[in-house]
Amino acid sequence: MTLARRTLLLSTSLLAAPSLVRAQAAPIKLGTLTPLTGAGGPYGPVMAACVRGVVDQVNAAGGVLGKQIELISEDDQTNPEAGVRAARKLIDVDRVSAIMGTWASSVTTAVAPLAWENKVFLATVSGADSITLLPHNGWLVRTQPNTTLQGKKFGEFAVAQGAKRIFVMMPQTPFTQSQFAAMKAAAEAGGGAAELLIYDATKPSLRTEVDQAMRFRPDVIVAGGYTPDTSVLLRDLYRASFSGKVLAFAYAVNQAMLGAIPKEVVEGVMTLAPSPAAGSGGYAKVQALAGTQAPDPYTCQIYDHVNLVLMAMAKGGATTGQAVHDNIRKVSQGSGESVDTALDGLRAIAAGREVNYEGASGPCDFNEIGDVLDVKFRYEQVKAGALTLIRIA
Amino acid sequence: MPDSFLFGAILQALINGVISGTILAVPAIGFSAIFAVLNYPNFAIGALASVGAYGGLVANTVFGLPLEVSLLAAFATAAVAGIVVEWVAVRPLNQAGALMMAIASLAAAIVLENVIRFFWGNGLRGYDLPMLRDVQFGAIRVGPQQVKNFGISIAAMVALWAFLALTPLGRAMRAVADNADLARLRGVDPVRIAAVAVALGAGLAGMGGMLIGLDTSIDPLTGPRLVLSIFAAAVLGGLGSIPGAVVGALVIGMAEELTVLLIAPSYRSVVGFVVILAVLTVRPAGLFGARA
Repeated sequence: MTLARRTLLLSTSLLAAPSLVRAQAAPIKLGTLTPLTGAGGPYGPVMAACVRGVVDQVNAAGGVLGKQIELISEDDQTNPEAGVRAARKLIDVDRVSAIMGTWASSVTTAVAPLAWENKVFLATVSGADSITLLPHNGWLVRTQPNTTLQGKKFGEFAVAQGAKRIFVMMPQTPFTQSQFAAMKAAAEAGGGAAELLIYDATKPSLRTEVDQAMRFRPDVIVAGGYTPDTSVLLRDLYRASFSGKVLAFAYAVNQAMLGAIPKEVVEGVMTLAPSPAAGSGGYAKVQALAGTQAPDPYTCQIYDHVNLVLMAMAKGGATTGQAVHDNIRKVSQGSGESVDTALDGLRAIAAGREVNYEGASGPCDFNEIGDVLDVKFRYEQVKAGALTLIRIA
Repeated sequence: MPDSFLFGAILQALINGVISGTILAVPAIGFSAIFAVLNYPNFAIGALASVGAYGGLVANTVFGLPLEVSLLAAFATAAVAGIVVEWVAVRPLNQAGALMMAIASLAAAIVLENVIRFFWGNGLRGYDLPMLRDVQFGAIRVGPQQVKNFGISIAAMVALWAFLALTPLGRAMRAVADNADLARLRGVDPVRIAAVAVALGAGLAGMGGMLIGLDTSIDPLTGPRLVLSIFAAAVLGGLGSIPGAVVGALVIGMAEELTVLLIAPSYRSVVGFVVILAVLTVRPAGLFGARA
């Protein structure tokens, strides 16, 4: 009996000892959950590789709080079900402190509750307005502007073009109303007026809709649809000899559209899209890490995720998800020293200075629900049948 | 809105509606012709319209053929595709009833749509046509291409009427539609007539698909997007009635445009559903239909 108890004690202590040792040297576990396959397949692998590059650099410079970082990259297959399975593995098996890079809004929406319930921080590139409205209590941030911010930028751009009367033509989408409300507010703030017409995107002709628009006497028409319906709309605007300016989404008026419809129809159309902060220090570092002159927006965003997570841990003096949750805004915004990489940020924090991270995707300042406050937008115009850059601002 | 302003807007919407209704009538006649002879609703009609539109696209942009010849190519391509659908997908099920045949045609539509995607992708394609500004007559605006398409649609309908009224084959087709048993007793070959009806119906759908594409651009869903309007036009006119399909298409075309003006543009699609619901409730035979 005594022997048995002694054996039990001994074996327990033997079991406990290595874990005590391990606790001190245990690496920081971080996860990426990007689409390596599926619709997001072109982006996910590059995103994961970019994070690997940052982690390698930070490890080579001594890690964070004296600990090395261990990165685990999983595939969400651009599919919520697969995303949840992978997130469970990252959380339950690997015990990561943060998950970065969820891409599709459906995946992010499915994974977010797992993250906040397990006190794992989530950084995402998904755009749906509903994501930051989830009851996440500060456990997620996103670097992709939501569709409302895109609407605000549209309105401001129209006003900057001298528009007083803006007519917005959009199909019914989950974001039509919120986006128009943001456009209208921006237009009215600039002393203008805006009106919305929701059209049926399946109709082969929008002549009567264009007649409606012309009666409003707009100086700017916002064509807020996708490629097929926008091409119908642009043709009908041309036929009606609309002489004002036309603004559209860059994802609708794209290279494919320019090849398919007559040049004169799209000539002069202006487009707008969220843009990485090209020319910034962070952007240059992503260019080097990704090995391309034009890294995609999502790679720029996940570069910002990993930098912010590492600096927030250093700032909080702990490597848990809680430390990231409590400290991310202390390093992402404020009046501190401007940094564009975790290496500089970690040195400044170690020296007791405040930092303000300015990333590759933009300034990376977040509001209380985790939406990014401002990002750069890319403005282009169709000139002589080709998209030409007006500015990035 | 002042009265004269509103009057102008309504007149404009009616003109737009007559023109779009006339173009819609072409595939609607095709749908009704198939129903009249074969007694099932061929829901592949939308996909066949897309097939025709792409057939015309190849003729027009690859071989550089003029518009009118390309329209014939659209007719021919869709006619062949229609016969293939009929033989491979639909006819093997003709003992299972009209519902099974309709479902088979829906399945075939999905296959056709994806065959188009396989070769041309999902992107937009445009015909090689000059882009013309509209001509203004007072408060009314009309597009030259619109008028041309209107004329072509009328010509196609006149040609169809001549075929049905003046040729032995056309008369035989009408006989089968009228009373299949009687026609068989008189020595009309029902298999041959069915093939003619399918080729004719699918061909008209293909032509309609291209006519619509001429005014806009085409993608694999150009035709399938129209199925509801085509079906509503045919139901309103009376399934199987060719004059009915024409009248039905005109009414649907005008109603859709007036909805934009008087209710809201996003309710345009509701017109089709409301018409189908109302006709089936009040007069299932439709305006010109003899049977229901």
